[in-house]
Amino acid sequence: MFSKPLFKATIKQNYIVFIIILAVLMFYLSIIIQMFDPSTQDTLDEMLKVLPQGLVAALGFSEAGTTLLGFVASYFYGFLIFLLPMIYVIIVANRSIASHVDKGSMAYLLSTPNTRGKIARTQAGFLLISITLLIGIITIVGILVSEMIFPNELDIKGFLLLNLNTLLLYFAVTGIGFFASSLFNDTKNSLALGAGLPVAFLVLQMLSGTGESVEFLKYFTLFTLLDPDKIISGEGYVINFVILTLLAIILYASGFFVFKKRDLPL
Amino acid sequence: MSVIEINGLTKDYGNHKGIFNLSFHVEKGEVFGYLGPNGAGKTTTIRHLLGFLTPDIGSAKILGMDCRKNTAEIMKNLGYLPAEIAFFDGMKGMDFLKFMGEMRGLTDTSYRDKLIEKFQLDSKGTIRKMSKGMKQKLGIVCAFMHDPQVLILDEPTSGLDPLMQNIFAELILEEKAKGKTILMSSHSFEEIEKTCDRIGIIRTGELVATEDIHVLKTKRRKSYIITFDSPAAASAFAKTDNFDKITLDGATAIVDVLGSVTKLMKSLSGYTIIDFDTQKNSLEEVFMQYYGTTEAKGNTTKQGGAR
Repeated sequence: MFSKPLFKATIKQNYIVFIIILAVLMFYLSIIIQMFDPSTQDTLDEMLKVLPQGLVAALGFSEAGTTLLGFVASYFYGFLIFLLPMIYVIIVANRSIASHVDKGSMAYLLSTPNTRGKIARTQAGFLLISITLLIGIITIVGILVSEMIFPNELDIKGFLLLNLNTLLLYFAVTGIGFFASSLFNDTKNSLALGAGLPVAFLVLQMLSGTGESVEFLKYFTLFTLLDPDKIISGEGYVINFVILTLLAIILYASGFFVFKKRDLPL
Repeated sequence: MSVIEINGLTKDYGNHKGIFNLSFHVEKGEVFGYLGPNGAGKTTTIRHLLGFLTPDIGSAKILGMDCRKNTAEIMKNLGYLPAEIAFFDGMKGMDFLKFMGEMRGLTDTSYRDKLIEKFQLDSKGTIRKMSKGMKQKLGIVCAFMHDPQVLILDEPTSGLDPLMQNIFAELILEEKAKGKTILMSSHSFEEIEKTCDRIGIIRTGELVATEDIHVLKTKRRKSYIITFDSPAAASAFAKTDNFDKITLDGATAIVDVLGSVTKLMKSLSGYTIIDFDTQKNSLEEVFMQYYGTTEAKGNTTKQGGAR
């Protein structure tokens, strides 16, 4: 099913990027949780009013709630959660298949008694497991820091749902990267799709928040399907979960299919 | 049953690039030299054998199994040396061999270590920083270390110094004695004539001949460069007219001889010879000699600038 030596080698190849992204995420999340203070919430709102309205909206800070969950959801899960793990996904997804084909090392992998399917499954497995680990650690850190500083203040169920939504979103985003990586012979093209599309989504996501006239743009970005408002209100988020899961399954399955079928220039 | 069977294999990349209706077999225990200029389709053929490409028409089989469908099964008994070695950034030579061993489920590393010693491979350094020759040695060890039944080697001696080329030739002969089936590609006749039993010549995607090496050698013309003590002696020799083709250049004569050189030796016995040398024949010349001038000329013009 999986190739253990390849999985180990892939870990070795990627653990540094993983640790860097994780460390930065943990740092920001802790800082943001510490900034929460129900009594100074008004001061913070005052401060935001000084900044241009468009900028504040683009960064997703406009609906800072009064609860800790709402606060974290808007300051962390509005922008940073898209940007940082996305960098990790772009790098690792490109490395998973396309860079091996581009460099020629795929020739060695496939000259061993391992099928293309097994190689692809191992690489996809690494993407899914590592992104789960990344979001999982962030979730645990978020809960621990919240409980340490503001005991019993965090809606843990809501926070878990928010992170599950994030994880499912990333299953779909890694799916895009994996599909692009499986489809193309060149790192260049793999990145054009695997990085271009998520970056475009992020830009659209930011633009759509800046005003009513451009709000329709949210229908063109996958990141709309991570919706903290719906989780906080406890309604209507299930459909997002379902869409993201289906999308991830389709993308990974297509990646396996094209990689197994196509000609490799090795 | 042949170990390697290629039947009517066609892969058309358009623009006369690719391989067309290629058929040849390699028997068990045979060393097959696959010869052709750069871009003739050698690597495309090898990619089909490795299962990287799906043929348009025809089939490639190894040990009776289809190369595209049963790739992983075939790989249990196959060693492959790609034309270029590329691996995980920063991987050291030994890490690479260990990794490849694990990927193959190889537990006995004694043959690997023997090969490392034989080729004096320095496996401690990072692959990226290795010289071309060192990378090539690493690739060779990797292809042979699991003692496979079938070996497919893409330009195996490129980058190796003459000493290592000899060690490589020894290794090929040893493996042949063990009953291994080997397919080696090359663009130079000299490189493979020492080790191969049979040679297949490919040009612009078509197999133009497969021939036993001994037949090829006897049919092959060789050119000898003979320097006489004076231009007069050279022209006197040229007038004897015992040979198909003599080119004169001052005191030097270039004589083409087919097969045995006894006749040349005998007719030279009356002259004072300053220097006696053989001309290295390029692949193109081997073609010319093998096919006779007229046909080869036609082909040569078609092929243009190929070596």
